[in-house]
Amino acid sequence: MVQETTVVKGTSLWRDAWRRLLKNKLAVFGMIVLAVMLVLVTVGPIILRWLTGVTPDYIPADGNLIKSFPPSLEHPMGTDEQGRDLFARVLQGGRISLTVGVITTIVALFVGVSYGAIAGYLGGKIDNVMMRIVDMLYAIPYILIVIVLLSVFGGPNTQALIAALPAVLGALIVGVVGVLVAVNIFRRIFGEGLSLSIRDTLLRAGFGLLETAIVVGLIVLTAYAISATGFGSSAGAKYANVVSLGMSQIFLLFFALGLVSWLTMARVVRGQILSLKNQEFVLAAKATGVSTFGIIFRHLVPNALGPVIVYATLTVPSVMLSEAFLSYLGLGVQAPYASWGSLAADGVKNIAIFPWQLIFPGVTMALTLFSLNFLGDGLRDALDPQTRKF
Amino acid sequence: MLVFILRRLLLIVPMALLVVTLTWALIRVAPGTFYDSEKKLPPAIEQNIRTKYGLDKPWYTQYWLMISNVAVGDFGDSLKYIGQSVNEIIWRHLPYSATIGVLAYLLALIIGLSAGIIAALKQNSRFDYGAMAAAMLGLSVPNFVLGPILVLVFALGLYILPPARWGGISGLVLPVITLAAIYAAYIARLTRAGMLEVMRSDYIRTARAKGLDEKTVLLKHGLRGGIIPVVSYTGPALAGLLAGTVVVEKVFAIPGLGNIFIQSVLNRDEPLTLGIVAFLSILVMVFNLIVDISYGFLDPRIRYE
Amino acid sequence: MKATRFTTFSLALFITLSLLLSGCTSSAKNQYFGQTVAPSENVFRYITGSEPESLDPAIPNGQPEARILMALYDGLIEYHPVTMEPIPAVAESWEVKEGGTEYIFHLRKNAKFSNGDPITANDFVYTIRRGFRPELASRNASLGYYIKYSEAYNSGFAFAKGTDGKFLLKKDFVDMVEASTPQEATPAGDSDFHKFLDEPERLTVPTSDKDLLKLTDSDPKLKTALQGRELVPVRAEDIGVEAVDDYTFRIKLYQPAPYFMGLLGHQFFRVVDQKVVEKFGDRWSRPENIVTSGSFKVLEHLPYDKLVVVKDLNNWDAANVKLDQIEFYPLDEQTTMMNLYKSGRIDAIYNHTVPAPWFDQVSQYKDEYLLSPENASEFYVINVKKPPMDNQKVREAFALAVDRDAFEKLRRTYKPLVDFVPFGIYPKYEEARDKIYTQELKKQGSSLDEWKARKFNPEKARKLMTEAGFPVQQSGSGWSCPSFPVESVSITYNTSESNKSTAEFAQAQWKQNLGITVPIKNMEFKTFLPLLNKVDYEGFGRRGWVGDYMDPYTFLYLFYSPNNTGATGWWDPKYDRMLDEANNTIDEQERYEKLAAAELYMMQKQIVIPLGVPGTSWLKKPYVKGLYPNPGTLHPWKFVYIERDSAKWDKNVDNLMSEKNPVVEEQVSAIMRTQEEFVKSKQGETKSAPVE
Repeated sequence: MVQETTVVKGTSLWRDAWRRLLKNKLAVFGMIVLAVMLVLVTVGPIILRWLTGVTPDYIPADGNLIKSFPPSLEHPMGTDEQGRDLFARVLQGGRISLTVGVITTIVALFVGVSYGAIAGYLGGKIDNVMMRIVDMLYAIPYILIVIVLLSVFGGPNTQALIAALPAVLGALIVGVVGVLVAVNIFRRIFGEGLSLSIRDTLLRAGFGLLETAIVVGLIVLTAYAISATGFGSSAGAKYANVVSLGMSQIFLLFFALGLVSWLTMARVVRGQILSLKNQEFVLAAKATGVSTFGIIFRHLVPNALGPVIVYATLTVPSVMLSEAFLSYLGLGVQAPYASWGSLAADGVKNIAIFPWQLIFPGVTMALTLFSLNFLGDGLRDALDPQTRKF
Repeated sequence: MLVFILRRLLLIVPMALLVVTLTWALIRVAPGTFYDSEKKLPPAIEQNIRTKYGLDKPWYTQYWLMISNVAVGDFGDSLKYIGQSVNEIIWRHLPYSATIGVLAYLLALIIGLSAGIIAALKQNSRFDYGAMAAAMLGLSVPNFVLGPILVLVFALGLYILPPARWGGISGLVLPVITLAAIYAAYIARLTRAGMLEVMRSDYIRTARAKGLDEKTVLLKHGLRGGIIPVVSYTGPALAGLLAGTVVVEKVFAIPGLGNIFIQSVLNRDEPLTLGIVAFLSILVMVFNLIVDISYGFLDPRIRYE
Repeated sequence: MKATRFTTFSLALFITLSLLLSGCTSSAKNQYFGQTVAPSENVFRYITGSEPESLDPAIPNGQPEARILMALYDGLIEYHPVTMEPIPAVAESWEVKEGGTEYIFHLRKNAKFSNGDPITANDFVYTIRRGFRPELASRNASLGYYIKYSEAYNSGFAFAKGTDGKFLLKKDFVDMVEASTPQEATPAGDSDFHKFLDEPERLTVPTSDKDLLKLTDSDPKLKTALQGRELVPVRAEDIGVEAVDDYTFRIKLYQPAPYFMGLLGHQFFRVVDQKVVEKFGDRWSRPENIVTSGSFKVLEHLPYDKLVVVKDLNNWDAANVKLDQIEFYPLDEQTTMMNLYKSGRIDAIYNHTVPAPWFDQVSQYKDEYLLSPENASEFYVINVKKPPMDNQKVREAFALAVDRDAFEKLRRTYKPLVDFVPFGIYPKYEEARDKIYTQELKKQGSSLDEWKARKFNPEKARKLMTEAGFPVQQSGSGWSCPSFPVESVSITYNTSESNKSTAEFAQAQWKQNLGITVPIKNMEFKTFLPLLNKVDYEGFGRRGWVGDYMDPYTFLYLFYSPNNTGATGWWDPKYDRMLDEANNTIDEQERYEKLAAAELYMMQKQIVIPLGVPGTSWLKKPYVKGLYPNPGTLHPWKFVYIERDSAKWDKNVDNLMSEKNPVVEEQVSAIMRTQEEFVKSKQGETKSAPVE
């Protein structure tokens, strides 16, 4: 057992994947752009404010400056119709768009993949019931869900919450990395060893669950701690009781978008699993007594990862657009803050007059999505268990 | 197989009723009523309206009245558009959204499938990168941006196509392209991923080893497995497309169902919302059933018990 | 290698796209905006706004419908195309009697419905009674509540009849303002119904036990008075409308309402055909059943696409209707409208449709872009019931801390407003207002100039805020007000591009001038409305008010009665009384002065923060004539025509409202003639009377 573990450590799937990923130039490019973008939107507004005093919601007191100016040295991306600096708005919009994109995609990944995989593998009645629930959720108008959520739980969306967003984002990233690390540990402990008995299998599954629970708990705690320090700032202190009274609109937005984003993912994964589950390697695993849990998550899901990752990268833009649409209906991000989607939606109305209002948020958003996609493709190739054979 | 289809078909009606019930509850929980307006109504007028529409009855009576009518396909009249029945509104506006939706999906399928397949076969080639970049562009340019840009160029710059409104084939071009872009991009990427997955699998190797020519391997074996993700995606996507897409309908002023649906929710036009929800849920379930059946044809290893 | 090639490729894509965009933006300045070609047929294409709820004139209460229904139905009067004053329609003449409580209309004998049926006084009686039917549940009914007993009928109330056959009278229980003019002697041979209407107003009480109990519990005097009395429900037949004969129609109000004539142009009072309505029930207004009474009738209705109406040859004025057909397009996406307009596919659009950013570009086309003050005002209401906004000084501070000149720069089409009734619409009222304000403010040790300086006064705002117990301190280059409870205020508005920019502006102003960051809360319309109507919002709520008729009272009425629609939670019986007294005044100028005094009284409580008067802001092609930017953007369509001779197109017009168009003027004066002659003949009678 001990010997085996050391061997597995040497050729860890994740380490291999990481090595392969680094070889992929496009993926590295994507990673760098994303990292730069993350840093920019997180600290950019703060630095900008410190350097120039410009905030995304600053409307000039001088009425003559309430006008959309083209890009200049002072305003590298120009200003919007209210004379607000577009650069600051794009940076601040990135906080919201990235958070929305990342959070909902994570929800889609975790919920959608496990849901779809379980339904697909177990099949029969369970599959039928599970997939009918998905069908139903498709049909319920989600704006209605959002309206109800907002009216029942909606509290004022405040600056402090917006300020806390990068913290939450950071916490999430920490969390995701944590999960990856945890999975790695999990793999190291259990290795590729064969399961011997039901008792053993259950024990392992229980261990895995416990570990996941601990990691998830840690993420939640970190997120809470960081966001609490965000609220603790002088501007945010006042909102503490407001926040405890009702959840902010933006968090409800994540919830509402997360609620629907995993549906298609579940269907895609299920379809994939259906076609995989009768393949030889699954039969082999079954024959050697691998537990159902193990088959699904150790053998089937990694084999379906290609489409899953691609679909996840597709989820990000579609979620960002849904957010823009909800904002357009008054159900999304609150003024004076904006997201890339809502900036682009505003900009496109004036496309013939003030093209910079569309071009800058649009290009920033597109660049991010491109990079995300490169990274996604790179990950797909790197994680593909079959590429190892070649 | 037949039993499977029958069982699923039988499920559709109760499922739709369940969806209607949930939606009804959501509408009732949501703040605001269909008759609210900026001018506050005198209590007497509000009372008249409540009496007229039976809103003064207990909720369970109202629910029973609603669900028993819905069960026989009668959604009643719209609360907003006086004297128009919900069924009439749905059937009147469905053709608009269906025309645009089906055309856009066909266009998206043609572009997306061919681009995806070629990109997968020539992985890491110039075509692959070009096609995937174009797909990514299609995805990252939202349709509310693409539509106005197309209008600006073709309707206001070149004056060759109408900028909006229903009518004539020329009026279809811009909305269909706008709508198709995002779906084509999705399909291209899903196809590429699916094909790459399949082309490396054992049975393709077996097929090649049998000495089948590359075309047969690709179309008869590769494609069938490779488009499974696309097929999974098509079910809900097509249902959604038929039921209309708000943004494109608004940008191009097309009287489709999507905009009417959103408006009905925003207007709290309960019968109309419930009608469209019921219609949409049946559509989703039927399409997903078709998708599930087609899995069996596409991949003989998928079986239904 | 691949990566670089790829990056170059995607960069190239972006650059091409950007070039494409900027290439399209620069176009040579022409005389007119976009494609300008008069349509070959006599068809007018107009964008109305959202899809009409119904073509039944009693039902919808929105502006888009109002414009459509004006084409389809005629009323007693029509709006003047420029001034919106009443001009004859089915009534060729009218007179006002009994101190402004009685209106007599003389109908023309050739008026017909679109099915050829004649329109008589009985049709108007039916139309108005129907409008108040509780079963119809019309949301417009309250517009006509001045008609005697209409409110009671609409609310399902009853008269209280004693065993002696006598009814309880309203004046015995309600504090009423006495009319300043006595009742005229009832002429001989008067109808019983008219006598009934001329009697003092009866008391009406709710019929439902619950409501009645609520009322009597709060009023012990009424409780004893009601004992043993029989409740007689008010019937449709009791409403103050009467067909004196087939062509004479009489309306009786319970108190004078000097603006009532102007109100009669509203769709609610436009005539419908009883036979058709009763035959088809609530499906009568569908295209296959509908019978109309206006200059145009329905040809085709494709909801959400278009409504086509054609000239109705049965109409009494058909000879003067110039368009053959109007196509109404229900559309509310501003960019889409602008695109359609620019590509020459429509001839005109409705008001507030030119997006603010387009202003600089579009306003160059003076012949097409129409901007004049609207009978409307934009303001924030304040929930005066919740602290800290219950403190008047706090309210005043917020009101003073908004730079309204900057607001004008932001919204372009708005003019700064410090009062509640918009300016530029009622010159005579403004005159009275200046006079009264000067007098009253002098008494209070202030002046009109100081009042007008309320447009923006940040120093005073900070002073007031400090006095109210929330000290404003200098902090760096700005201000801060740490003790102000920002968590209990917000700027609440329903989602729209313009509401958003106003809210962001107000937030920035308060942040800069008071150091208070008021959170912004936007909501979907139907979520917002209950908050507003139940006065459940915190701090500030966005409102705009569009006048229902051409009189300052349509604005001041907003805060009238305890159950008012003002949404501030403020009500003051003194204010009600001031308004009642004004309306009981016959002399126009004197009445305006009394209204102005009431306005000042209300404004000094600072229950609202006025922001601006919106401009009409819409577009029409230069070949469209007879379409004016009037204060309500309501167009009597029979005056509209398409000028094919491009020499006569609007060219370098400064103000279309003062431009003389002989064609329209002649048409209007021909219509006015009947009323003018009638007035002249009446004057002749009174002059000749003493001689007899």
